[in-house]
Amino acid sequence: MTELNPYIPFLSKITEVIKHTEIEFTFRMTYSGDVKPGQFFEVSLPKFGEAPISVSGIGDGTVDLTIRKVGKVTDEIFENYVGDTLFLRGPYGNGFDIANYKGKEILLVAGGTGLSPVKGIVDYFSAHPEDCKGFTLLVGFKSPKDMLFKKDFEIWKKNINVIMTVDYPDEHYDGNCGLVTQYIPELMIKGLTDAVGIVVGPPIMMKCTINDLLAKGFKEENLWISQERKMCCGIGKCGHCKIDDTYICLDGPVFNYTKGKFLKD
Amino acid sequence: MLDLNTKKIKKNAYRVTKVRGETASRVRVPGGLLTAELLPLIQNIAETFGNGRIHLTTRQGFEIPGIKYTDMDAVNALLQPIIDKLEINQEIPGKGYTSAGTRNISACIGSNTCPFATYNTTNFAQKMEKEIFPNDLHFKVAFTGCANDCIKTRMHDFGIIGMTEPQYEKERCMGCQACVKACKKKSVDALSVENYRIVRNTEKCVGCGECVINCPTRAWTRSPVTYYRLVIMGRTGKRNPRLAEDFLVWATEDAIIKIIKNTYGFVNNYIDREAPGGKEHIGYIIDRTGFEEYKKWAMEGVELDPRTIVKGPVYWSGIHYDGK
Amino acid sequence: MGYQTTAEKINAIFSDLSKDYLIYAPKRFVGDGTFTYIDTIRYGEITDLAEIEFAEKSNYSFKEVLLPISETLFYFTENEMKEADAPKKGAIVFLRSCDLHGLKRMDTIYLENGGVDTYYKRLRDHTKFILMGCENSFENCFCVSMGTQTSEDYDAYLKVDGDNVLVDSRWDYLDAALAGATQAPVIADSVTANDTVVTIPETVPQTLFDDPFWEEYGNRCIACGRCNFVCPTCTCFTMQDIFYTDNGKAGERRRVWASCHVDGYTDMAGGHAFRNDKGQRMRFKVLHKVNDYKRRFGTHMCIGCGRCDDVCPEYISFANCINRLNTLVNDTVKEEN
Repeated sequence: MTELNPYIPFLSKITEVIKHTEIEFTFRMTYSGDVKPGQFFEVSLPKFGEAPISVSGIGDGTVDLTIRKVGKVTDEIFENYVGDTLFLRGPYGNGFDIANYKGKEILLVAGGTGLSPVKGIVDYFSAHPEDCKGFTLLVGFKSPKDMLFKKDFEIWKKNINVIMTVDYPDEHYDGNCGLVTQYIPELMIKGLTDAVGIVVGPPIMMKCTINDLLAKGFKEENLWISQERKMCCGIGKCGHCKIDDTYICLDGPVFNYTKGKFLKD
Repeated sequence: MLDLNTKKIKKNAYRVTKVRGETASRVRVPGGLLTAELLPLIQNIAETFGNGRIHLTTRQGFEIPGIKYTDMDAVNALLQPIIDKLEINQEIPGKGYTSAGTRNISACIGSNTCPFATYNTTNFAQKMEKEIFPNDLHFKVAFTGCANDCIKTRMHDFGIIGMTEPQYEKERCMGCQACVKACKKKSVDALSVENYRIVRNTEKCVGCGECVINCPTRAWTRSPVTYYRLVIMGRTGKRNPRLAEDFLVWATEDAIIKIIKNTYGFVNNYIDREAPGGKEHIGYIIDRTGFEEYKKWAMEGVELDPRTIVKGPVYWSGIHYDGK
Repeated sequence: MGYQTTAEKINAIFSDLSKDYLIYAPKRFVGDGTFTYIDTIRYGEITDLAEIEFAEKSNYSFKEVLLPISETLFYFTENEMKEADAPKKGAIVFLRSCDLHGLKRMDTIYLENGGVDTYYKRLRDHTKFILMGCENSFENCFCVSMGTQTSEDYDAYLKVDGDNVLVDSRWDYLDAALAGATQAPVIADSVTANDTVVTIPETVPQTLFDDPFWEEYGNRCIACGRCNFVCPTCTCFTMQDIFYTDNGKAGERRRVWASCHVDGYTDMAGGHAFRNDKGQRMRFKVLHKVNDYKRRFGTHMCIGCGRCDDVCPEYISFANCINRLNTLVNDTVKEEN
């Protein structure tokens, strides 16, 4: 039997497009295989290339891919493919294992589009708050205009503790301002020895947040991060995402901090 | 009591100097390359008959000053092994250089050493020397390996600038664009990218070979044939110094040799017989006859490669100090 | 089985084999080099033993046979994809012992790490490898330090000595073709020492990643990637999508060689990049070759062919870098103790 060619993508239908901002849309795609939050698909646009996009929601026969318009491929998705189909490869990567967090007190800190790969975790515990000892979502966006998943936030707020902040407020905004790290000291964490911290966002945000969580008393082995790197294949061949002896596409993108702290590009 | 025929002395490659009774001997070194064993022979002439000093000429020869006119025969005898070794054409062995009008043919260091050179400038210079020397008409010819023109061929009657026609094997190209960057920064920005592959603007390309030099995978290589840009009628001087202009682009060796040889016929025909010392720069003759007449003579019997572009009419700029 | 035969006989066998195989060997490409009148020894198709350059090390490795510089993966129209056809013929590749070890490194990435690569496998499965012996070490070789100076993983070993050819065959086809030839014990030529000797540090503490040691390389390296492109163990690639200019709806996706030294290697959409400093790129490559690859896969990646040292236009010696790094590591460990 010939093995399946892993480079040839399959066609997936766009069932819904959720527009968060001018440049960030969630594409709800038909997909019926196993998939975990934090895994990613290579969204494949013939003529333009591929972009690794993390799974931002898992439905019945669908996956959500939240795409930010930042390059050749994603520009084209926004221009021409809305309401049609997309080619996909994946899912790739290890993803977040919800089981690791069940029964624990969870602090999830996300910056901007870093919320996408962890949104599945938020969705899960928002739907099953009894599965953990407490769930705090601390999320920062650049400005009110950059907010993602606004409708989801309305649901989450009912079930879990949500702290949202923006770096640059506008005149209509009356919520929290400043970096996510400003809100860490005031967080009431009951049992720091086994509380879980999940941190995803831009490299500098992750670094500062992790430092603050460690200072607050979180244990390294209870901290989880997700890394983003250039990837051309997603299957351990192209080499671009390798850091030290680790292939982000195979061994990550989700890492326990005890491993993640040694990932030096 | 000195009784000298200065015309004969000059033709024999000796200078009539400002010092009464003293001359200077000019040693030709075609292509500017010689074996080190010749240096002691030049040293010996300078120490035995000159003032112990040697001047390096702009044309890559040696000039040995401080020689008594009366010692010219003895010096000619000592020059003979140098003339023999450098294979200089000569009418009468032992009598020194047969003529001096066609100057030593100079060349940059070329592909023997330089990474940028597209051909062996020394070999071509030596070949040209064989073809045109000894001729006493005032011709200056220089060879340079690439468009950097380190020998300054554009200040010569004939300048030969090497060109390679880059060959592109697209299947060996991964689109790293090292060539594009090099061409843009070091040459004429003739390369662009289309569909991750390189497109060479053949009209812009000067054949410098930077793409070949910078290609890490041998997607760019050199053409088996070396091509040349022939630039003509550059000059210095009191009246109208100017840079040489392109005559032929993507020309072959044979065509260049033939054109230069043809030019001797043109000059013989049109030279001003009343010119001081019988010397007249070719460029001034062309100014008089018009470029088209020169081209007719120069291109007589020349076989051109299909790639060769012949420029014309050619106009020269430069500064006119003579008010014309 | 060892044989003594003639060049004529081998060429006749090649002629038969050419129905099913393309035969690749290092050969001389006259005037093909970086500089004028400089030849390149690189891989090309041959039909006759005389075309093979046995006397010199090839400037480029055999890897382009199995991992073409530019390889079309599939063709696409708007809604269809069609896998590019595999070559109709298999391949026979002449290569040296170190390169055979390089083949193992390629296998590790393309057949094991993260699963099987369709395109590599379909070439690899139809490729035979013929070992070329090394009577002497070439300049910059350090195979002995890397333990790659001999290899048993060949389909045949072949040594040309004038008209005589010695063959050690492990390939049924060849054994059958040479039936009747004089049998003789044949042992592949290999070197036992190189002028270049490298000592690889057992471990490199991460604290040395930012050591000023790498800055010097940052100042010298011009990020041309030649060291990667000539290396038989560098296997990175980048994807390219192209569309046909005469039919904008159709096109192809291909992969091309990539280099961790060349700008853009870590660039993500949106503009973030990870190793802008060339010294850090050197650190990344060097430690991959002799440190982290081994931690993941059990052997060092570098096979000691020295082609990177042969080719570097800035005269950066990888071998010397390892030795200097070893000294640095030892000094650092001493200081800490």
